[in-house]
Amino acid sequence: MSIHAQDTFPDLIALDHAGRSRSLSELAAGDPLVLTTFRGFWCPKEQAFMRRLVAFQDEAEVAYTSVVSLSVDPVEVTAAFRAGLGARWTFLADPEREHLDALDLREHTDTVHHPYRPAVFVLTPDLVVHSAYNGYWYWGRPGLDELRADLREVTRAIRADWNVPA
Amino acid sequence: MSERCWLALASEAPPTADAAARLRSADGEPAGWLAAWLRASKPVREARRADPRIIDSDGAAAAISLILPDRAALPIFDDPAVQGARRAVLADPEPADLVTTLLIDASHFAGSLTARRGPDALARLRDDPFRHVSAATLLFVDPALLGRVAPPPGPVIERHGSDVPWPGGRFPAL
Repeated sequence: MSIHAQDTFPDLIALDHAGRSRSLSELAAGDPLVLTTFRGFWCPKEQAFMRRLVAFQDEAEVAYTSVVSLSVDPVEVTAAFRAGLGARWTFLADPEREHLDALDLREHTDTVHHPYRPAVFVLTPDLVVHSAYNGYWYWGRPGLDELRADLREVTRAIRADWNVPA
Repeated sequence: MSERCWLALASEAPPTADAAARLRSADGEPAGWLAAWLRASKPVREARRADPRIIDSDGAAAAISLILPDRAALPIFDDPAVQGARRAVLADPEPADLVTTLLIDASHFAGSLTARRGPDALARLRDDPFRHVSAATLLFVDPALLGRVAPPPGPVIERHGSDVPWPGGRFPAL
């Protein structure tokens, strides 16, 4: 499958950075969800983008927005990468590449690591795709202002009291 | 499950409690009981509210870090020290079996309860991030009271409503 806006993202289950089985819907926890797939800890482009997300988490932490990052890195590597970044969101590990092809997110041009193609999805709490970004080229990824705009639209749509009650 | 969970220390198992378990000090000495009530109204004067998901009558014994600041000197929930502790909980690469903040009203941090299991549980609890807010007591709790709760997804540190103990709760769906 190829995932586009208005699709429902599969409620995949994978191990988190602590080795616990987690589902995407559980991790959304009723809030908007920013899901990123990334090649792996070794990629400079991912390191640069993750540093942006680390800055973004200072807003997400007070804005009722969950973040999840998924790669083929093993659990231990995922945990180390997350800790090194100072990230406070959940990282998921898919070293067996169980979801790679089902999501149509295999980066076919990398025949060494067989990683996820970098992508960013802004999802509603019930995993409907509001926006999808193809990050194969770095500038295909959303800037923080684009994420803010997407999350404003999603939050407006899901919060009954967006317009302050009289 | 009731919408609210109340916790309190007691010298004996309260007959009205929905669950209770004996406590032992880190040295193994008897330290009373930890009791839980699942109900809307406050069951006893000293009870503080917790995330209802922590209660599990099938839960195994655990080591806990219990923080109960003096009611006369509670920091506000938005105190930078309390915010920082919540960030540290989320950053922990080895999440606890459960963590809940405690509330007595909508604006103050009235403590926290963190549980871990395993051979290094007590050692890990000595690094409870909330100990920077107020003194922590390390205890062992018997089975049939505390379960395991999946770690919060992060990075949200805010409560989902001022009367909801972090990290539990969610806003109603439209």
